[in-house]
Amino acid sequence: MRKLTQGNEAVFRGAVAAGADYYAGYPISPSTEILNIASAWAATHRGFHFMQAEDEIASANALMGASLAGAKSFTATSGPGFSLMQEAVGYGQKIGIPCVFVNVQRVGPATGMPTMPGQGDVMQVRYGSTGDYTPIAFYPNGVEEAFRVTVQAFNAAEESRSPVIVLSDTFIGHLNEVVDLEEMAQEIEVVPRTIAPLGKHEPGHPRFFAGVLMYEHGPMAGEPATADADEYLRQFYATKQLHLDVAGRYALYEHGWKTDASVLVICYGIVSRVAAPLASEYALFRPIRIHPMLGDELRAIADRYEQIVCIEANDGQYADMAQLALGREVKRVPLLGGRISLEAVRDGIERVLSGGPSEPPIPPAPSERGERSPLGIG
Amino acid sequence: MPEAAIAELDFKHRLKVDLFPTIWCPGCGIGTIMIQLAMVLDELGLDDTNTILVTGIGCTGRMGSYMKHEAVYTLHGRTLPVAEAIKEFRPEMNVVVVSGDGDTASIGGNHLVHAIRRNASLTVLCNNNEIYGLTGGQTGPTTPTGTKTLSSPVGNPNTPINLQGLVRSSPHALYAKTTVYHQLHMRNAIREAIEHEGFSFVDITSQCIENNGRRIGFASANEMLTFYRKTYKRAPKGADHLERFQIGTLYPQDGSMAEAQLGTDGSDQPDTAPAQPDGATTSISGSPGEGGATGRRAASAPSPRPAADDEEKARRRAESQRRLALMNRLDPKVKLLVAKREISLEDALRDAGIDPDEVAES
Repeated sequence: MRKLTQGNEAVFRGAVAAGADYYAGYPISPSTEILNIASAWAATHRGFHFMQAEDEIASANALMGASLAGAKSFTATSGPGFSLMQEAVGYGQKIGIPCVFVNVQRVGPATGMPTMPGQGDVMQVRYGSTGDYTPIAFYPNGVEEAFRVTVQAFNAAEESRSPVIVLSDTFIGHLNEVVDLEEMAQEIEVVPRTIAPLGKHEPGHPRFFAGVLMYEHGPMAGEPATADADEYLRQFYATKQLHLDVAGRYALYEHGWKTDASVLVICYGIVSRVAAPLASEYALFRPIRIHPMLGDELRAIADRYEQIVCIEANDGQYADMAQLALGREVKRVPLLGGRISLEAVRDGIERVLSGGPSEPPIPPAPSERGERSPLGIG
Repeated sequence: MPEAAIAELDFKHRLKVDLFPTIWCPGCGIGTIMIQLAMVLDELGLDDTNTILVTGIGCTGRMGSYMKHEAVYTLHGRTLPVAEAIKEFRPEMNVVVVSGDGDTASIGGNHLVHAIRRNASLTVLCNNNEIYGLTGGQTGPTTPTGTKTLSSPVGNPNTPINLQGLVRSSPHALYAKTTVYHQLHMRNAIREAIEHEGFSFVDITSQCIENNGRRIGFASANEMLTFYRKTYKRAPKGADHLERFQIGTLYPQDGSMAEAQLGTDGSDQPDTAPAQPDGATTSISGSPGEGGATGRRAASAPSPRPAADDEEKARRRAESQRRLALMNRLDPKVKLLVAKREISLEDALRDAGIDPDEVAES
């Protein structure tokens, strides 16, 4: 049945369609709807477990415990909460725990501008926890895609045995569109659990899930390998290769709009929706799998264009990655402070294409003009 | 060889003796806790398919790697959220959390407070050595006032955290205090804690001779244990509060373990429903039987395991003693194999030509 559905709800419904049966979370705008829906779902659906944790640290760690116990677990948060969850993300990467984190971004750093839309967590997703790891992350730009991408995130998490991140933002999370999720739920493929739950191990071989480097095989199995670089290399590259292989199955992106234009615009999430009226002027590259970087795909496309502009609601985080992958200049249009409008997008593109700076003209502070800000502060 | 010393004990198959000696310093108290835990698990008949160990960071955290149980070695301080999620999703599992005082009460303090509030059905064994041992001996949350440590060279200016008060803030939680010297008491406390349905906390004072004891004037681990023997006394039966140097068990105030509290012989205790706790009077639940904080688990999770009655425990104890007597007749090498469960006792006895019944009668 076609129904007006919110982006956050679509994420939740996608998770359930993918077999999720454990949610732990802490309320934070603009992701709170997912928590509310999860608690209501748990009250009416036997087998779906819900925990409202005391903080994001606890909820992220609870995902790890639940996943090891056999659940498909997930949580939803926003930038400040995701900062607290980073240690658990790294723990999940080290041990290989399938689970899904949803980050509905707002403007940071710190408490920032609750809850204006932002995309400032693109690099936090990539490098947020300590050490080296290769996370997989997706970023939908609509309600239907939010559903589909969440299912794929759960599948990729199982296949790669790692925490997978679904990025969203205030606008996508609160966007309402008419979709038929029930019909979509019939078509999806779901990857079953890939690790044996706690207590259901091979008889006589109990496992030790450790955040420290341990020998996994051979006569030293079960001993810490905390001073063995060779063992680190073996495990690190095996995990990295697995993640890259799995990511390769989800090389999701959109190449469209006026594909024979001379300028390629890179944007994703809400910005790609806001910029859509420019469809007659520019070509579009929209990464859906944000991490690992779609290097080969972008290179194959970018050769056809004279100039590349990356528009995003942060200070050029994806533009940096794109420039590194392409080895040529990617002009950046940062949309900061939650001001994501067609006007800002159009002005920004025209400014950088005419050789201007990436920064927009910055108006003087209200006090210098002798006025008060609309909110009565500053 | 450490193997030979404990070869005749039947709990040995629960330990990864191949990995011995452990990383713990000579004189450390953690090994004692591990052995007592292994004995309790053995007595209760719990095995690696129904019991999960969740350990924290620090010296104590390594216990999971020496026991033949599925174990999760969590991040520093995060034992409780991980354990709570495991228990929530798999209520039939027994989840035992083992971590140090710093892990439990300092970096994991917030989780402790809220696991108690939610009455998570977990058993926490807190190795309380009053110091951060693995990093060399810094002030921990339970370090007594005035103690000199690496991070308080003129003496700890702060009051130690009141674990008893924290745990007792919930009417459903069980709190036990014991020490590494009082091994039988510790074993009983651990057993009661594991058998308790709701949140249970065993606060085990243990010695860290290398990174604390020597600095505060003890010459050896033995001296520290002697200190525990001389200073710690059993609390009177039925006590509702433990003084500083008292050991004992404080039962939940909600009356769910009233029979244990009174010390009656509960061989045929009725399955009494837990009384409505005082603190839950604002609950809007219509059914008193399922209301209150215990209601959540009562409604969602079936009882994980019926508690063994006294008759059953006596039978297991007798069986255990009989096996021990039989094993003592065996050659030490064979005994070791039996202890590791590589061959069954019956096969070993048959090979050695010993008739089990004959020994039992004599």
